[in-house]
Amino acid sequence: MSYALTILWYDRQRYLPGVLAVSFSALLIALQCGLLLGLFSITSLPIDHTNADIWIGAPGVLSVDLGRPIREATLARLENQPEIERTEIYLQGFSYWSKSDGGTELCMVIGSRLDENALGKVNELTKDLYEKLEEPGAIVIDESDMERLSIKAIGDVAEVAGNRVRVVGMTKTLKSLAGPYVFCSVTTARPLLRVFPDQITYVLGKCKDPADAKTVVARLRENNNFSAFTSAEFSFRSRWHWLTKTKAGIALGYAAALGLLVGAVVTSQTLYSATMASLKEFAVLRAMGIPKWRMQLLVMTQSFWVGISGIVLAFPAVHGLAELADRLGVRVELPFWLLGGAATVTISMALFAGLLALRSLKSMEPAALLR
Amino acid sequence: MSIGHKSISDNGLRNPAGAYSIQCRDLMKSFGTGEMLTVAINQVSLEIKHGEIALMMGPSGSGKSTLLAMLSGLLHPDSGKVVALGQEIWKLPETELERFRLRHCSFIFQGYNLFASLTARQQLELVAEWGDGATKKEARKKTDEILCLLDLAKKGHLQPGELSGGEKQRVAIGRALIKCPDFCFADEPTSALDWAHGEQVIDLLRTAAHKRGCTVLIVAHDARIIPYVDKVFYLEDGKLQDSNPEGLTRVFGHQTGTGSKPEIPGHDAQTGTI
Ligand SMILES: Nc1ncnc2c1ncn2[C@@H]1O[C@H](COP(=O)(O)OP(=O)(O)O)[C@@H](O)[C@H]1O
Ligand SMILES: [Mg+2]
Repeated sequence: MSYALTILWYDRQRYLPGVLAVSFSALLIALQCGLLLGLFSITSLPIDHTNADIWIGAPGVLSVDLGRPIREATLARLENQPEIERTEIYLQGFSYWSKSDGGTELCMVIGSRLDENALGKVNELTKDLYEKLEEPGAIVIDESDMERLSIKAIGDVAEVAGNRVRVVGMTKTLKSLAGPYVFCSVTTARPLLRVFPDQITYVLGKCKDPADAKTVVARLRENNNFSAFTSAEFSFRSRWHWLTKTKAGIALGYAAALGLLVGAVVTSQTLYSATMASLKEFAVLRAMGIPKWRMQLLVMTQSFWVGISGIVLAFPAVHGLAELADRLGVRVELPFWLLGGAATVTISMALFAGLLALRSLKSMEPAALLR
Repeated sequence: MSIGHKSISDNGLRNPAGAYSIQCRDLMKSFGTGEMLTVAINQVSLEIKHGEIALMMGPSGSGKSTLLAMLSGLLHPDSGKVVALGQEIWKLPETELERFRLRHCSFIFQGYNLFASLTARQQLELVAEWGDGATKKEARKKTDEILCLLDLAKKGHLQPGELSGGEKQRVAIGRALIKCPDFCFADEPTSALDWAHGEQVIDLLRTAAHKRGCTVLIVAHDARIIPYVDKVFYLEDGKLQDSNPEGLTRVFGHQTGTGSKPEIPGHDAQTGTI
């Protein structure tokens, strides 16, 4: 065990505030980001709750809800790929919902194939629901949007973009963000989205082996007439777009910066006072001519381990709190890259705190030992 | 130990056959200014031979620590020179002086100054690794050797909190000796110890001087140490006095005649050589 670790372990009570400060920072950053990711995962819901491996849309599409029409013939491009097992057309876009009382509401229309193995049908549509959707003008909405859309019961009618629609059923858990989701068949969706009969929004594909999706996408990207993504890529792209576009990222940045500042100050003070407590011992080493960088390295190594310990402590706390939030109906997403990123940022903070604490060594005066 | 010394060196001090490992000439040091001016060291000159153990005595505030600090390259004198191993140390640039201390100087203090968190063994290994750049294995081997020498072989795994004062000071001696220094400066190493342990410490330093060729300078109050050393300096008000045993007896009221002198084999105390 290194001297840094030995000292750290022996004096663990002294270093505890620093460790907790690092933990707090890591927790704050991870949870903040996780909450926002969870919030924006609503946008990528059509990707995350369906079964396609590959999404093909208009060139440069930023988010799944911002798709522009492409030609239905694009389907053949994907069908030609040897790894592909199944392809399918899919429509999605914003439209206007005219309420029975006269008001209008933005809504998000999703038109997909409806058979049992359909790629674009959200998993929440039960057999009973998707069979009812085959009927022209039939739609499904989520219970949580009933009030917003002035729907009182199944069977109620409304107008979307001037077309009569009828609610044939409801889902329970598909909350919406910008506009309520309206699920229907491809045929019903076309007039609601006002697209030509040979136009669609996305082509979806399923590979025989899902691991091939990356290869297929890479090959399809050589064509500039459309953009191709694996479902994971497109999901992240959609959320990232909204995160940056809504400036929610800035609010997040402020909170994170504040957390880091507090963490850095406390950690640096902890390291500073711990070093000051051993200053005489360091001064003996200095008197014996041992170079200063050895002691600086020791302090930096300690700051690194304080960082690591803080993160190790934060990890279960983050998961516990995320679990708690989930029970309260707030989704917190904690992908691996987010946890890794939060860890990296907080370790850097701890190292920075170590740099600040180095000033304690300045007051080390070997001659003062001789009095 | 072999250092190429010239009889009449370019530093202007006479050093016949390079016998002296450290010499100082006309050292001056004062603190404060005006009304508050204290002359801590006033025109002190002395020399110590290779492998000699010397004792510096004097009342509190007489400037012993200040003199030790200037001789050991820790405190810059106002004037005068210190020549150690043929080099005028206060002419060296800061980094060179630090390297000089790294290669040649070790220290022992009254307060032990051991890391509370490290074991006795680690205190020594740390100096070997950080000072000499020794590998873990080399440091371990050297440490074993020194711990044996200090009769601490069974205490290597203990932290300072688990050691007695005498043991702690022996660990501090080990930390000083592990780098095989040419000089060992000890400021009141026995003041916090009872005589039995103090004697042990002095005996170890005496062995370091006579068996390992280390030049040892001890600052202490206890006149019982006198028989163990080769040379005694007596400091009063920053000035070196004629340090004859009678004078010391007068000051400390302690009889250092042959009657109370402990038997030290092969030891002929040579005191008062200024
Ligand atoms: N850093 C300092 N600043 C001011 N005065 C000092 C300092 N160091 C020592 N002195 C003064 O120098 C004198 C000698 O001190 P010191 O060498 O510590 O004596 P000793 O070790 O013999 O007890 C004392 O009067 C002390 O107050
Ligand atoms: Mg003193």
